[in-house]
Amino acid sequence: MTTKSILESFTQKGILPEEQAVLITEYERTKSFSIHRELRAILYLGITLLTTGLGILIYKNIDTIGHQAIIALIAASIIACFYHLFKNRQPFSRGMVINTDQFSEYILILACTLFLTLEGYLQYQYQFFGTRYGIAIFIPTVLFFFLAYRFDNKAVLSMGITGLASWLGLTISPLSVLEKNDFTAPGIIITGIVLGIALVVISWLSEKNDIKSHFGFTYMLLGGNLAAISGLAGLFNNDPKIIYFLITAALCTFLIQNARKTQSLIFLLMGVIYGYIAVTYAAFVFLPDSVLAALSIFYFLFTSLGVLFFLLNVKKILGLKK
Amino acid sequence: MKKPYNETWIINLNIQNISQSWLKKNLITLKQLEQITTDFPESFYKPGIFVKTGLFLFTILAGSFFSGFISLFFLENSTDKIFTVISIVCAICYFFALEYAIKDRKLFHSGIDNALLYMAAVAALVPVFLTFDHLKIWQYCLIVLIVNSFLVIRYADILIAFISVAALYVMFANIILASPQLKPILPFCLMLISAIIYFLNQADYGLYYKNCQLVIKTVALMVFYLGGNYYVVREGNALLADLLTPIAPQIPFSALFYILTTTIPLTYIYFGLKNKDRILLITGLLTTAFSAFTYRYYFDIIPMEIILILAGFVLIILTISCIYYFKTARFGLSDEKSEGQNIANLEALLIAHQFGQAPTGDHLNFGGGDFGGGGAGNSY
Repeated sequence: MTTKSILESFTQKGILPEEQAVLITEYERTKSFSIHRELRAILYLGITLLTTGLGILIYKNIDTIGHQAIIALIAASIIACFYHLFKNRQPFSRGMVINTDQFSEYILILACTLFLTLEGYLQYQYQFFGTRYGIAIFIPTVLFFFLAYRFDNKAVLSMGITGLASWLGLTISPLSVLEKNDFTAPGIIITGIVLGIALVVISWLSEKNDIKSHFGFTYMLLGGNLAAISGLAGLFNNDPKIIYFLITAALCTFLIQNARKTQSLIFLLMGVIYGYIAVTYAAFVFLPDSVLAALSIFYFLFTSLGVLFFLLNVKKILGLKK
Repeated sequence: MKKPYNETWIINLNIQNISQSWLKKNLITLKQLEQITTDFPESFYKPGIFVKTGLFLFTILAGSFFSGFISLFFLENSTDKIFTVISIVCAICYFFALEYAIKDRKLFHSGIDNALLYMAAVAALVPVFLTFDHLKIWQYCLIVLIVNSFLVIRYADILIAFISVAALYVMFANIILASPQLKPILPFCLMLISAIIYFLNQADYGLYYKNCQLVIKTVALMVFYLGGNYYVVREGNALLADLLTPIAPQIPFSALFYILTTTIPLTYIYFGLKNKDRILLITGLLTTAFSAFTYRYYFDIIPMEIILILAGFVLIILTISCIYYFKTARFGLSDEKSEGQNIANLEALLIAHQFGQAPTGDHLNFGGGDFGGGGAGNSY
């Protein structure tokens, strides 16, 4: 099937007049091939390579190059980046800002990465912050939050949230929440739940009050994931289990409900999967053994069929538009 | 063979998608699009990627516990024969469920049917492996290939298509390695097979198989490149000859392989851009990265960090000038922004994952993250 045959069937059915079909054929013939994504991917790769290379170079030559020289160089680069950013800045707005300058986004990320390098360097060489590591993490966090809101950048916002989490001793990145956090350490579960729920609340507030409502997704994804996993870890390891179960269940219900508002159904999936784990675990812990023995053979088969039914009819059940 | 998915709907779906893109370019009006949607209807159930993932996972869960449930009836003696019977029973049930799901629930690669198909394929293959347990590798591959080819022809699933091609390659490689005359020219044989697959795959088998053809094409291009890649050939040669030296010995025709390592990616990129073929272009970019790694591996003259800085610098300059140059379309290429808000959301998280580790006092982290990922990573 080609464009030509499609257009022919359109004109035959009288949907399009001939002239329009000719116009579309002409457009299809001359339309350009966009290499936008490929170019951006290579640009990211370039930035990654450059910053990594600079990092290693400085690390290796830490004794030969003067420290001041290195610091001055990095600081100068940061200033140059920020000069470009502020020169091409758009006025602050509560909504989404579309920057006409193509490179601002990348330069902002570069500047933030360089800032982390600079800070790490100062701490390594001069013990700039002494043993108060908290401040060393807190400063970039505040800076990143400010930059994210000022320049309307989700990547930098994620970096800020990551910083905030690591200030509290947590790893929040969705790909490594499970592997990098030590949930057996005391207090970490509570911290995780509190921070996660706080982020979810911020997400809800941003959407409700329409302050950078498109940031809601980032907050919700990072926060919801952290809170749900911490809640499950609490359910598995700590007492009283009923409290952790209620927290996780409430969170999952909220996530599923929230799918009604947000465009992306990722929260629905998170809610269903975490909720299923929580309910299953709770069923096996709380139910008396006699019921369990009768139930256990069929439990997974029928519950998973139930979930499938729910997912298949999710649009009707929750009243989703999309 | 009769196809389970409604072919007219697939064609109509494609028509609707193309019309959507025309609407975005203001080539047709909204009213015309509505007219098209009513004249070319389709009623597949197509959930988003996340619901699809959920459906897939829970179907696998239900399926595994179903097979456990079936095996409860045969608990007394667990021999291979019993296991064969269980597998066959499961396979039949899965296939029935699959056909029902497609026909009745109008699924179209929506997670449930994918999961059922994979489980059915596995359950159907288990008895064969249990019955014939002393075959050569290529004979197993042939069985896998035959079964999966039927499944591809009927269901046009991309993973099954991938497994079929992989089985085909392993089968040929195994046969070639067994014969002393052909063994030395294994790389060329693989390249030849890839070329044949590529050109056979270029024919138009209809929209039904479009995605399968893309997968097969990618695999053929990749294997063709790897067959000519110096690193793969040299290290593979050492591996096959069981040489345990720390450095793999030099191979015959090394100059030829060096040339192939350089020219294949460049050819891919050139034809990708010329024919507006995104698969070729992306494969070209990825293989370029692997070629860079190959050269760096054998010519360790310049220190790593200098290469990184130079490469990063060159890439940044090159892309920035390309972005400026293609602001207006030239040679049929442009830097036009495409749609995809969801990708932008996830992209931001990836960046944070890579760059976002704040310095943690005692242990120094120079911002960069790792530079793996080999090539054009972030956007795909």
